[in-house]
Amino acid sequence: MGTIAWAGRKIGGALVVLWLVATAIFIAIRLIPGDPAEAIMGGPGSQASAEALAAARAEYGLDRPLIAQYLMYLGKLATCDFGTSYSLKQPVIGIMGEVLPNTLWLALLALAAAWVLSLCFAAQAMRANRVGAWVGNIVEIIAAAVPHFWLGAVLIMFFSSMLGWLPAVDNGTTQGLVLPVLTLALPLAGFLTQLMRDSLSYAMSSQFALAARARGESRLAVFWRHGLRHAALPALGLTGWAFSSLLSGAVVVEAVFARPGLGRSLLSAVLARDIPMVTGIALFSALVYIVVMAITEGLERAIDPAGASS
Amino acid sequence: MQRYSRASRILGCAIALPLIGSLLASCSAGAGPDSTAENAKPVAGGTLVYASGDAEPSCLDPHVGGNYPQALVASQYLESLFTKDADGKIIPWLAESTDVSEDGLTRTITLRDGISFTDGTKLTAEAIKANIEHLKDPNTASSTGYLAVGKVVDIEIVDELTAKLTLSSPDNALLESLSMPWTAIESPKALERDQATNCASPVGTGPFKVESWEHQKAVNLVRNDDYVLPVGDTARADDKAYLDGITWRFIPEAATRYAALQSGEVDVIDNAQPDTIATATNDNSLGHLDAPRPGASNRIELNSSKAPFDDQRVREAFIRSVDANSGISALYFGTAQRSYSLLSSVEPLGYTDESLFGTDAAKANELLDEAGWTERDAEGYRVKDGKRLSLDFPVSTNQSVPAEQSLFEQFQAQAKAVGFEVKIQLLDLSSWYGALAKHEYDLVSAPYTKVGPSVLRILYHSNSTVPAPSGYFANNAQVKNEKLDGILAEAEQTNDEALRASLYEQAQKLVLEGYYVLPLYDQQNHFLYGKNVHGVGATTAVSSPIYYDTFITE
Repeated sequence: MGTIAWAGRKIGGALVVLWLVATAIFIAIRLIPGDPAEAIMGGPGSQASAEALAAARAEYGLDRPLIAQYLMYLGKLATCDFGTSYSLKQPVIGIMGEVLPNTLWLALLALAAAWVLSLCFAAQAMRANRVGAWVGNIVEIIAAAVPHFWLGAVLIMFFSSMLGWLPAVDNGTTQGLVLPVLTLALPLAGFLTQLMRDSLSYAMSSQFALAARARGESRLAVFWRHGLRHAALPALGLTGWAFSSLLSGAVVVEAVFARPGLGRSLLSAVLARDIPMVTGIALFSALVYIVVMAITEGLERAIDPAGASS
Repeated sequence: MQRYSRASRILGCAIALPLIGSLLASCSAGAGPDSTAENAKPVAGGTLVYASGDAEPSCLDPHVGGNYPQALVASQYLESLFTKDADGKIIPWLAESTDVSEDGLTRTITLRDGISFTDGTKLTAEAIKANIEHLKDPNTASSTGYLAVGKVVDIEIVDELTAKLTLSSPDNALLESLSMPWTAIESPKALERDQATNCASPVGTGPFKVESWEHQKAVNLVRNDDYVLPVGDTARADDKAYLDGITWRFIPEAATRYAALQSGEVDVIDNAQPDTIATATNDNSLGHLDAPRPGASNRIELNSSKAPFDDQRVREAFIRSVDANSGISALYFGTAQRSYSLLSSVEPLGYTDESLFGTDAAKANELLDEAGWTERDAEGYRVKDGKRLSLDFPVSTNQSVPAEQSLFEQFQAQAKAVGFEVKIQLLDLSSWYGALAKHEYDLVSAPYTKVGPSVLRILYHSNSTVPAPSGYFANNAQVKNEKLDGILAEAEQTNDEALRASLYEQAQKLVLEGYYVLPLYDQQNHFLYGKNVHGVGATTAVSSPIYYDTFITE
C-alpha cells in the first residue's frame, strides 16, 4: 500500500473515531443527572428563577429537540467551535489553549524521565546478581502498580514535609516540577522496564552478544550497544500509548500538586457539569491519542517498511 | 435547656485581638501559639500566600451565585453596609445609620461620607440602588444575595448619601442580610461592565483590590492604598493594611495543602481537617482559627413527608439509637463541639435542649415496637407489613468531610442494632441535589449559612417544601406545621426585639421537640497559619476572615 493511500486511510479512520467520540460524549452527558441550564446558572443547587433558567436554555439551544441539538453540536465541532464554558463564560478553546502547554510540558518531561529511569533500571538489572535482579524486579512491579495519587502524597510527605528539599505545590520554578514529573514517571518507568526485561535477557544471551563479549567488550558495553537496541523496540512501540496514559495521569497529578493544566480543568468542569468544557477536553484528548498513534505507526513504517506492509 | 458560654469565648478573642479585631466578629480557639498582634510588633510589607481547599470560584463577584468560597476571597476586597460586632450584634459598616418606619415597610440607610471604591468612584446612595438592582436582575444569576434582598421592591435615592428601601412586607432580618458578603457593595460604575469582566475584577471598598486572576493558579490581591476604615481606630498612621498583597491559591488536596503550610510555601490554609488541626496544634508550631459559620448548625434532617419518618415515634427512635457524642469526640479530636441546637453557636438567638437527644437504645426499641415495627427479618432489620425499616441517606462528598462520613457510618452501625437499615450513598453535588429533588432520601445533612435566626423560616416554613424551578427546596425535613409557619412569619416582622427572641425560641422548640432534626455541631470553618503570621482573627458577619490586621514577621 502506498504512503498516500495509507495516510488517507488514517485520516478517514481518525474522523470516524472523532465522530464516534463526539457522539458518545453527547449521549453520556445527557444521561448524567442534573439540568444543564442549572449548570449555566451557577451550578448544582442554584436557586435560579424559572425565567432565568428559560433564558439560559434558549441562549444555549437547550430548548430545541435533541436531534436538532445534536446536529448543531456536530456542526459547531466541524468548525472547531467548542462553544463557551458554562462556568467561566469564556470560549473553551481559549481556556484550553491557556493551560495546554502546562500539561504537555509535564507529560513530555515525565515521558523523558520515565525513559531515563527505565534505562537505568535495565542497566542496573544487567549488572545485578540473582538476588539483585529479583529485588529489582519486585521494585519495578511495585512502581508500575502504585496509583499516582498515593505516590504523589508519599513524595510530598517525604521531600516537602520531612526533608523540605522540594516544594509541594507548583510555584513556577523548575524545582516545583520535580515531584509532579517523578510521580508521573515512576509508574511508567516500572512498566517500561518490565517490558524490556524479557527481550533484554534474550538479547544478552544471544549469539551476537556472546560474540561481542568474546571480542572483549564489557558486559555493560554490550548492553548499551547491542542488547538495548533489541530490547527497546517493544517499549518504543508503546510510547504512543504511554504518552496518552500520561495525559490521563495528569488529571490526578495536577490536582495533587495544584498545577494549572488540562487535567485540572477537566476535573473542575466535570464537577461543575460544564458540558462544553468537558466535551472540548475529551475530544481534544481523543485527537491527541489518534495523532500520537499515527505518528508511532508512521515511524514504525519508516523503520521497518516490510513489517508494516505485511 | 442551656446556652453555650458564648460571651466568655468572645471576650477571650476580643482581648487577644486589638485593632479592628476587637470590633468585628472574631473568634480564635485557644489552641496553638498565641501568634496574635499583641506578641509581635506589626510590620508592614510582604505578601501573604493563602491556600484554599475549595474549588476555584467561577466568578469573584459574590453577587453571582453566592457561595462560601466566593465570600472567603471577596471579604478582602468588598465590604458590606452592615457587619457583626464582637458581641454578635449587627452594626453599621459602610452605612452610618439606619432607620425603619413604624409599619416596617420603609428602611432608610445613610452612608458614611468620604469612602471611595478602588476605581475612584465615590460611595453614594447610587451604589445601594445599583447593587440591590444587580442582585435582583435575573441575568446576574444570584442565588444567595437574591434571596437576601427578596423583600426589597423599590429603592429611592433621597440625597447623595441616603437611600430609602421599600419592602413588600416588614423584614427585621434585612440588616443581617445586608451584612453578608453576598450582598456586598460594589462600584456602580464597575457593575456596568459585562458580567465576565466584573467576575474577573470586581471593584469594592475593601482593604485589598483584585489585581489579576490567573485561572487555576491564583487570584492576586494588592493593598488598597486609599483604604478608609469605616469604623474604629487602627492605631496606625494611616488606614492601610499591613500586607502588600495576598496571593490567593487553590490547592484542592488536603494533604498537599498542609504540607505546603508546613514547608512554609503558604501562610494560611482553610478547610483544615480535624486530624490535621489536632496534629498542628499539638506540636504548637502553627496557629489555628476556629470560626464557626452562622446560620444553621450541621445537622441530620429526617424526611417527615413519607414512611417511616412520617411517624414521630420512628424519628425519635432513630435519634435515640445513635451515639453522636462519642462519635464526634473520637472522629473530630476535640475540634468540634456537640450541638443540641438548630442554629449555630454564634447565633445569639439559638435555643439548645440537650435532654431531647440522649442516646437510649432501649427507648428506641420501645418506640419502634409501639409504632408497629415489631418483626425482624433474617438480617436483623425490623419489618412492618412486609416492608423493611430502611432509610436512604444520600451524602454529598463535597459537603461532608471524611470525618463526617465516618460519623455517619458509625450511626449506620448503631441504628442497625435497633433494627434500622441505613443506606448511605456517597454522591457528587449534582447527583446529591438530584436525589433530594426526587425525594429519594429519608436522612440528609445539608448545611445552610446565613446571618441571623431568619434562616429558620427558610429551613422549616412549609413554603420551603415547594421546590424552585431547579427542584431545589430548603425544608429537607419537610416540616409542615401551620402553627410554626405563623410563628416564623410573625418573628420576621416584629419590631420588638424581645418578642422576636421569644417567637424564635418557640419555633425552635417546635422543631426540636418534633424530632425532625439531629443536631451535630456548628458548620466547621477552621484555618491554620504559620507561626510567623500574626493578627489573624477578625471576620465578617459570616465568619470569613479579613486579613486587614494581619502581618508577617521573619
